[in-house]
Amino acid sequence: MRPLQPALTFTESLASYGSFFVRCVKGSFAYRATTITNLLTTATAYSITIMIWRQVYTQNSALTIPKQQMFVYLLLAGCINYAMGMSIEFRIGNRIRTGQIATDLLKPVDFQISQGIQSISDGFFNGAMGIIVFLCGFLVFGTQVFPASASALGLAVVSFLLSFMIMYGIGFLFVQGAFYTYSGYGIFASRNALQLTFSGVSAPLDYYPPLLRTITEWLPFRHTIYTPISIYLGWAKDNEAYSLLLQQTAWVLALFMVGRLIMKQAIKQLEVQGG
Amino acid sequence: METALHVENLEKGYKRRIRKPGLMGAFQSMFSAKTEELKAVKGISFSIQRGERVGLIGENGAGKSTTLKMLTGIIVPTGGEVEVLGLVPWKQRRQLALNIGVVFGQRPQLLWDIPVRETFRLLKAMYHIPNEVYEVTYNEAVRRLGLEPLLNTPVRLLSLGQRMRCDLAASLLHAPAVAFLDEPTIGLDLTVKEQVREYIRDMQKQFGTTLLITTHDLKDITEVCDRLLLLDKGKLLFDGSLKAFEKRFANESRIVAELHKPATPASIKKLASDIKRHGGKIALSDGYRLVLEYRKEGAAPALTQILLKSQKVADLTLEKTDIETIVTKIYRKPLADKMKS
Repeated sequence: MRPLQPALTFTESLASYGSFFVRCVKGSFAYRATTITNLLTTATAYSITIMIWRQVYTQNSALTIPKQQMFVYLLLAGCINYAMGMSIEFRIGNRIRTGQIATDLLKPVDFQISQGIQSISDGFFNGAMGIIVFLCGFLVFGTQVFPASASALGLAVVSFLLSFMIMYGIGFLFVQGAFYTYSGYGIFASRNALQLTFSGVSAPLDYYPPLLRTITEWLPFRHTIYTPISIYLGWAKDNEAYSLLLQQTAWVLALFMVGRLIMKQAIKQLEVQGG
Repeated sequence: METALHVENLEKGYKRRIRKPGLMGAFQSMFSAKTEELKAVKGISFSIQRGERVGLIGENGAGKSTTLKMLTGIIVPTGGEVEVLGLVPWKQRRQLALNIGVVFGQRPQLLWDIPVRETFRLLKAMYHIPNEVYEVTYNEAVRRLGLEPLLNTPVRLLSLGQRMRCDLAASLLHAPAVAFLDEPTIGLDLTVKEQVREYIRDMQKQFGTTLLITTHDLKDITEVCDRLLLLDKGKLLFDGSLKAFEKRFANESRIVAELHKPATPASIKKLASDIKRHGGKIALSDGYRLVLEYRKEGAAPALTQILLKSQKVADLTLEKTDIETIVTKIYRKPLADKMKS
């Protein structure tokens, strides 16, 4: 009789998550046609947004953000939103509805972390696609797409990574609702509506009405799009940039912990019906 | 012997929203908070020792899968206590997961989009399976379950039977201390079912795995298990060895006769009266076929003699009631009667 296996050590867990990440990335290559179609549709939608803003700039010369920077902002916002457009609500929501989540909970890994890894692997693939779109933007906008400085690039990369974690944290928090509603769609629609409104994906927050702008400051959504791009473009410099990174880190930790607490309660609601 | 699993007064209840029929009813249900409480498992208790092979049977909706889900920590009971390998499943789910293997016949654990081989490698890392154990379990599974041609195929392209075989192999790769197999032979053809049962039996022997199998195919029980738990509407109706089960419920034996010519009503009436004195009765009289049933042990010779005198018999067989027949009979009885039997 084999002796009982003790809990995995930190290193063993890391190896396990690493292996999971590799398999998830491999899995995300399975639906190339869907990915490419999605990429083309998204690229078209953001090209239209840029064309609308081009028209706005033609008719209004008093806008404070220079036209070229505005286009780069929109291009980057589109790329980030595409790369991070994780449909965690659909993925987990469907698994809760069909009861397939049972097999996830039977694995000796942390559910929140393993779902995060799955999202990173999706983002990894989508991010590569986003970079291709960004390079296409270089052909259109030339050197304007470059960051404000080398240090701005460094800080922006950290900020992009943190924004990804915030996005996952928000999605994970929202998807806990699926344990009660057994549907991911409504939850996705709500989260997506808030994301589109408060992240600054279709326009920089500088152009928001004062009340709406105040609301964005109390929510994490701005840190997913507006914050990393404002660092990249040099709108937030030095101390302000560091302060934004700290705020992002605080949101990552808060979302992680709150998500974990809620999940512990939500899992108790789980009903896996049928054999 | 060490206890692998202990269950005390285990209960699981669900709240269901009451929905009215029809389109209007569906609309009204959106604003109604009326619920009803359903009890899937009603205070069951049992213990299983390390290395035991136990079958859990019952009709659809008897509470088998719900019990299994509570034992594995997926769902939280509404009452009672459970310990598996000294751990409380829903509180110490991850640590327990390292030591158990689970097959849910209708919910494969394999990763959908990648080849089977990749899932196996992932499980090796995930469960931190030592090389020497993995070499044995992997090679055995591939050889015994005929997985070699399937290893490079993405799971979504496998047939139900192929997927079941791979899923079973995946759940036993880490040679778990306890294996919960929920309908492990569902969707398999007869030959593969045999292969699977043999594989489970041998793996159990080799690693001393404690087995708890739920199934609707009673051959899974008779060929793999030596103890049976019978659930009915959430209650534990029987807990004991297969022999004890047969002794308790299989109290009827049969004599089946093929006749040279159909029995006349008069001869049947006389035969019925003659065998009654020896505890026998006519269960079926259908032209050339005649079936006698009796409960009394040792009554077969006397009944056979009476039958041979009464009818021109072409062929004769003695049948002991098999487990499948017993279980079917039990399922048909109301619960109160079952408890009395």
